[in-house]
Amino acid sequence: MTDVALDVDRVIAMPRRGRDSKTTLKRIGFWLLIVVIAVYLLFPFYWAVVSSLKAESQLQMTPATFIPRSPVDNSIAITFQNYQAVFQNEKFLRGLINSVIVAVTVTAFALVIGSFAAFALGKLRFRGKTPSLYVILSMTMFPQVAVLTGLYAVIRALNMPAIPSMILSYMLFTLPFTVWVLTAFFQALPDDLMQSAEVDGATPFQVFRMILLPLTLPALVTTGLLAFIAAWNEYLFALTFTTIEPNARTVPVAIALFTGEISRQEPFGEIMAAAVLVTIPLVVLVLIFQKKIIGGLTAGAVKG
Amino acid sequence: MAVATEPDAEARTKKVRGGNLLKQEQRLAYWLLLPTLLILLLIAFYPLGSVFYASFTDRAFASAREPQFVGLQNYSELLSMKIRELPAQIDPATGEELTDPETGETIYARPLDILPREPRRYKEAFQLGLFGNRYVVGATDPDFVLSIWDTLLFTFSTIALETLIGLGIALTLNSKFRGRGTMRAVMLVPWAIPTAVSSRMWEWMFGSTRTGFFNVVFQRLGLGDGQIPFLAQESWQLPAMIAIDVWKTTPFMALLLLAGLGLIPGELYEAANVDGASKWKQFTSITLPLLKPTLAVALVFRTLDALRVFDLFQIVLAQKKYSMASFAYYQLIDSQKMGYSSAASVVIFVIITIFAVIYIRLLRVTDD
Repeated sequence: MTDVALDVDRVIAMPRRGRDSKTTLKRIGFWLLIVVIAVYLLFPFYWAVVSSLKAESQLQMTPATFIPRSPVDNSIAITFQNYQAVFQNEKFLRGLINSVIVAVTVTAFALVIGSFAAFALGKLRFRGKTPSLYVILSMTMFPQVAVLTGLYAVIRALNMPAIPSMILSYMLFTLPFTVWVLTAFFQALPDDLMQSAEVDGATPFQVFRMILLPLTLPALVTTGLLAFIAAWNEYLFALTFTTIEPNARTVPVAIALFTGEISRQEPFGEIMAAAVLVTIPLVVLVLIFQKKIIGGLTAGAVKG
Repeated sequence: MAVATEPDAEARTKKVRGGNLLKQEQRLAYWLLLPTLLILLLIAFYPLGSVFYASFTDRAFASAREPQFVGLQNYSELLSMKIRELPAQIDPATGEELTDPETGETIYARPLDILPREPRRYKEAFQLGLFGNRYVVGATDPDFVLSIWDTLLFTFSTIALETLIGLGIALTLNSKFRGRGTMRAVMLVPWAIPTAVSSRMWEWMFGSTRTGFFNVVFQRLGLGDGQIPFLAQESWQLPAMIAIDVWKTTPFMALLLLAGLGLIPGELYEAANVDGASKWKQFTSITLPLLKPTLAVALVFRTLDALRVFDLFQIVLAQKKYSMASFAYYQLIDSQKMGYSSAASVVIFVIITIFAVIYIRLLRVTDD
């Protein structure tokens, strides 16, 4: 308490000019902090972009330069040869196609199946609702690696190709999350909406399809985005299930196992170019939908 | 309930219809839940059960041999540990303890000679000095024991750093300023990058010569000779992993905390300002207590996530150092030891469950 009083005394006693310079100093400090945070968060990405624009000889320069410079006369020299190489890399391109197929299908399935379950859990009355909710909540924390061997055995036993296996197994982390977030949204919709429609003779499923579903569209967009990003970024299952089927590799696996067509050492310039290419669509997606994504990420956590 | 307010006669017919409706509703609910539950049964509960079962067998992949039931053998091989004191080597000529002629340090017996070899061979996991004595901890599978230890160390360090840095970022961004939206978008960048991709970006930055960013910076700061093998040298491996993970996941933490800060009513701070409370006092008596529920949830999410870390370790360190998950992966894919890998998975599952239960208990206490 005493130092509180001291602080107040100091503020009151301070002459006007001194106070101004203090706030200016504070503002400078604040903006400095903002810059430090931004640099910290963006620098690795910047470094990847810079490296992707360097030729092999520039990548071998010591010390590494912060902008692509020519090893001969130190002038700025940018090359796009890494990008050209990546666009001619069949494994990478196939990875992109595989990733799009997997992520889009997973998102669609998770949303359709998930919204069914969420509607039941959020708006319908039935026995066993609480246990079902608990099962699904516990599934959102489920460690994927715990079922890795079992799931791999199931897939090998069913003789399932890698792409459908990935789609099926990605439900493990997209479906419970989708159900959980959408249930909260359905619960938040007013009950009279459903009751009045039922009085008018609509079946519960009609209420769901024609009234509630359109209202939850924003929530569907949010959860769909998060499911898409999670599926796009998944690595453990993709790596395991494509061990014997390299053609089905998704982009994260392709980048992790990236080898150059010609050079024997790891072609980091090309890897960085591939990394930048994969990241840019995600960054654009995130910038467009940032409010929705943040809302979705924090929805489960903050209501507490 | 809505029915009760209706006039009597109508209410009765309603009630009958209501009963039918309720049944209809219940049936619909089960149908709607069915696909979700079936899928989870197929990809979560059944595999989990089969992992438990396989962990008691010596099942191997791509082998025609019938798997044999081996009881707890996989577990005892994974987890058996012995601790032995390492005696100093005695000079046979003088009868005195041998010391290194250059450093003057005592030379100890080789762990290999001290650790038991029968019935099973124990290999050195790590050594520790205690009260002037030296001990060696041996394990039948040092890789797994070390992977548990490293994963726990990784988890505690990343969570602690992430919480501190995340809180700092959240408090900074919580004030109103121009460009706040942009900063929030910037925070999503590390989160949105696939871990596989960010792992390779950082692998490149951690290069072992001055082509790598960190060696350039370290050398400029006068630390090291610009040839630090960050990813090859044991003592640098874990710190490097922690640095990468903190960068990748701190924004998530900061976003959660930022949302939590947004829920604290501004009047509280206004009142505190009127009362003349210092900023620090406001932080400890308003911000922290009210942020506790959010902080707790964020900690749960992040801890359970960090314990199952895989991408980062597998991509950057491969088999140089394992996390629990990457150990299980290599046992399955490289060694084709399905039973053994399953037992490791069960141990991971149990460890994560213990953490989850502890957290749920703690959360309940804070809720009350």
